[in-house]
Amino acid sequence: MRPNFRIWPILVLLSILSLPLVLMYFYLVVDTVTDTTAGSLLPDRFTLEHWKFLFEKPETGRASIWPVTANTFLFASSTSLIVVMISLTAGYALSRLNMPFRKFFLGGILTLHAFPTVTLIIAIFLMLQMSGLYNTLIGVILVKTALELPLGIWIMKGFYDTVPWEIEMAGITDGASRFTVWWKLVLPQVQPGIAALALFSFLEAWKEFILPQVLAPSGASQVLATYLQNTIMDDRKPDFNLFKSIGLFYALPVILIYVVFNRKLMNIYGGGTKG
Amino acid sequence: MRRAHLLGLGFMTPALFIIVFLFLAPVVLTMMFSFTNMSSGTGISSGGAYEVTERTIRLLKDQGFPETTADRLAEDTYKIDAAGLAAVQADFGKAFAQEIEAELSGKSFAGRRDLERELKRLKERPRSTRDLKKAADLFKRSILNTRFETEQAFLTSVDELDLGLGETETAELTRTAYTGWVWTTENYRLIASLPSTLRAAGNTLIYVSFTLAFSIGFGLFLAVTTFYLPSGVATTFRTIWFLPRILPPVIYVMMWKWMAWDTGFLSSFLAHFGVPPRNWMLHSDINAWVVVVLINGFVGASLGMILFSSAIKAIPETMLHASEVDGANRLQQIRYIIMPQLRWPILFTTAYQTLSLLTSFDYIYLSTDGGPGKATEVWALYTFHTALNNYGGVLQYGLGAALAMVLVVIGIAAALIYLRLFNFNDLVAKPRIEQ
Amino acid sequence: MRIALENFTKTFGETTVIDNMSLTIDSGEMLALLGPSGCGKSTTLFAVCGIHRMDGGRLLFGERDVTTLPSQQRNVGVVFQNYALYPHMTVHENIAFPLKVRRENRADIARKVEKIAGLVQIGELMARRPAQLSGGQQQRVALARALVREPDILLLDEPLANLDAKLRLEMRSEIRRIQQETGITAVLVTHDQVEAMSMCDRIAIMNRGEIVQLSSPSEMYDNPSSDFVAGFLGNPPIAFLDGTTEEGGFRLANSRVTLPIPSNLAIAGSGVPMRLGVRPEFFQPGNPLKVTGKVSFVEIQGREELYDVTLENGAVLRSIQPHGGNHKLGDEVTWGIAQDRILAFGPDGSRL
Repeated sequence: MRPNFRIWPILVLLSILSLPLVLMYFYLVVDTVTDTTAGSLLPDRFTLEHWKFLFEKPETGRASIWPVTANTFLFASSTSLIVVMISLTAGYALSRLNMPFRKFFLGGILTLHAFPTVTLIIAIFLMLQMSGLYNTLIGVILVKTALELPLGIWIMKGFYDTVPWEIEMAGITDGASRFTVWWKLVLPQVQPGIAALALFSFLEAWKEFILPQVLAPSGASQVLATYLQNTIMDDRKPDFNLFKSIGLFYALPVILIYVVFNRKLMNIYGGGTKG
Repeated sequence: MRRAHLLGLGFMTPALFIIVFLFLAPVVLTMMFSFTNMSSGTGISSGGAYEVTERTIRLLKDQGFPETTADRLAEDTYKIDAAGLAAVQADFGKAFAQEIEAELSGKSFAGRRDLERELKRLKERPRSTRDLKKAADLFKRSILNTRFETEQAFLTSVDELDLGLGETETAELTRTAYTGWVWTTENYRLIASLPSTLRAAGNTLIYVSFTLAFSIGFGLFLAVTTFYLPSGVATTFRTIWFLPRILPPVIYVMMWKWMAWDTGFLSSFLAHFGVPPRNWMLHSDINAWVVVVLINGFVGASLGMILFSSAIKAIPETMLHASEVDGANRLQQIRYIIMPQLRWPILFTTAYQTLSLLTSFDYIYLSTDGGPGKATEVWALYTFHTALNNYGGVLQYGLGAALAMVLVVIGIAAALIYLRLFNFNDLVAKPRIEQ
Repeated sequence: MRIALENFTKTFGETTVIDNMSLTIDSGEMLALLGPSGCGKSTTLFAVCGIHRMDGGRLLFGERDVTTLPSQQRNVGVVFQNYALYPHMTVHENIAFPLKVRRENRADIARKVEKIAGLVQIGELMARRPAQLSGGQQQRVALARALVREPDILLLDEPLANLDAKLRLEMRSEIRRIQQETGITAVLVTHDQVEAMSMCDRIAIMNRGEIVQLSSPSEMYDNPSSDFVAGFLGNPPIAFLDGTTEEGGFRLANSRVTLPIPSNLAIAGSGVPMRLGVRPEFFQPGNPLKVTGKVSFVEIQGREELYDVTLENGAVLRSIQPHGGNHKLGDEVTWGIAQDRILAFGPDGSRL
């Protein structure tokens, strides 16, 4: 790019520093279809053995992966849907509407964003037990939604802020109510934001481990994160080839979403975390 | 109230509903719990009973209760009282009962054998030894493992044991024997005095400062170096370093385990150089810290890299060209052109990461789980272990809640500072449509 | 329709932006609100269309009091500086929107949209989206959308500011044509005096939240009520000479030069500060009232030439002359002022 600077020293340095990660990624993929003799660094046989878990019920009493995958999908997509729906209205109210306590709400949302899982999870654990939602997917969905909500609202507010005021002014002088203005004129302008937030919340829920682990530990509402972790913790003798196969299966949607929607997501990962 | 006000509040309602029930309620409850001694032992419903168990006796001894008296609580006592006499009269006849009353009334015995010996001397005693034992048993008074629903009933039974307890000792016994939870400020006193909280605080300091330094420093390094690379290569490196942030923590940590465990890649690799295999994640405190800092630092550096990269991209090309024409070498360009532009993103990332590191524990929980021993147990993880994930058995909700409250207070304080720092008032510009 | 703003007051928090302003716009008239940025002209416009609430005073559309009526019920058409077209709708949908939210029937909507599209000459663009239109075309669509529901008043907020010079010229006359054809009452908010003078029947010139002068463009040019108005209108701008009154005339500050003052002025006495305004077209070689100075700036504009002449005390007079004068920078010239066109202002800036 800048010809009077030499590039190769940087290239070499970066490559060396990136080596551990590259090795991890490389073996994450390769180990799922190969076997390696103990003590050796390089795989020596091709096999599909490690992907057996997709088709057979594992002998060790572990659940089949498909209901767990369905749970995870349900968990992630419900969370994403609720977060987006609620952020859509709340973000608009905070960005554009006159209302009492507006400043207080804004500060509150920002402060809540600073609340970490661990400060709430004890009380939530006990609340869910009292309300009978302990060990259900619904409980986990509600809690994850709540934890994602402050950031979601803030991101959505950010997207609304970029819509020109004049569009709304034109709308109301054209005779449309504030609601119609929001529904017909503003929402279409923030569609990229909606997509980005939906993907982001989906990923965050898909990755979540602590909440399902604590709030829904039983088999019926297991998700892939807890399933994989339990598999890793169960085995006396670690079978990394199996872990990696399950792991890759679990990571596939994440990688897919990253590859396809890279630019949309960067909207949030890049600037959206501000605030 | 104007119509737009109603619309605004209406639009906020779903969010407020969730926030009130799943944010404010838990915080208030956490605060309340932190002033109780709730645990999985006491349960969480209000009200409890009084019961002396082996554990109660152990606790009493720990609290300095007289040892022999405590032991006596566990033993059976045989006391000649009206209730026992009535029972004897019903089972063995009036004569025997009257004789016992005449001879032994008011006495108590520490064991059945002592009472049996006395009974054997009586004329009206039953002939068979079995009946004699049965008669003696009618005087048995024990409180071990018996639930008393009221304090009154409990104290009456304790009195029957004739332990000769003073007032303070009685109070101490009652408090210890209570199975429900009670209000107390004990948790905060414990936090201030327990060596384990001090260690957790120290660990948190180490964890936050090292990880923060690594993420900011390395994030900067990645952002600046990839900036100078051709775009294709830069994208490749950025993807490599972005993945740790976007991959699920369980998988990401699993890859580290594969790298670091004794059967893992690092051990196998170093075996070629004669280094014996070992678990690099948990072998020593230093090993564990290095792994913990790197695991979290890579993720933090991802965030830093993205934020800094977009800040560098925002620098006008012409400014960089101008600096080159002026003869700046690469280091000078970084120092005088790029770094000043990054001041704000660095401040922001530092603030944001400090808070999230302070309270996050997923990666540590998944990798070292605070080990070896408790060498890498940070405050958040300590809280989590205390309240929800305690292999020792009893989950101490009350103490855990108090530990969590410390984080809540720090979180709110930090958030308020940041709101000032990042010009909150600019963010709340008034709506331009005044309806 | 006649629009009346009575004792209009607007505050933002602690600051009062407009205090007790009254303004009447006659039916079918096009009025310009002209002034520098921050003078309150946009605030006035926003109050008329209902985007801002009024903190005091009344607003009448004809006989109807609309002071507290929400924007939606006022029947005003607004064209915004950036046109504010709805990006996700076609031109047709954009123009039809105000009718649609009024739940008019389809046939009516189609008819009215077609009619207005013909008027603003965008009939062939109806299926396009705003992003596919040029600035001038967007402007026409915005006009059509504002006019389609036959509003009581048309408000134009800096409508030409985003256009390039050539389009600006074209749209200037287009907007005026459309306004005259529809006979609609219109308010143009602008900071550009040329726009205001060329398009409007009357100009209300504003400064610091007050209307300084309200009159027709030529009247305002010839008879400004203050030095602010005189300085705001005219390009190249008027030149000012500061000095004091003297027996029988005006003495330029720090100089021996004296000038007679316009004969129709009664002088308050000797030694009173005074300011004279001389427009460039009235400072010419052929005029009688001679002043000597050095040419300190020359701008050749093609058909005309513009000169700055610095007098001995440092004051600058401006002159615009037909091409061919050939005066050079540094030349000493003695040109004359048209005495009866001198504008005299008192110490507070008001016209004497």
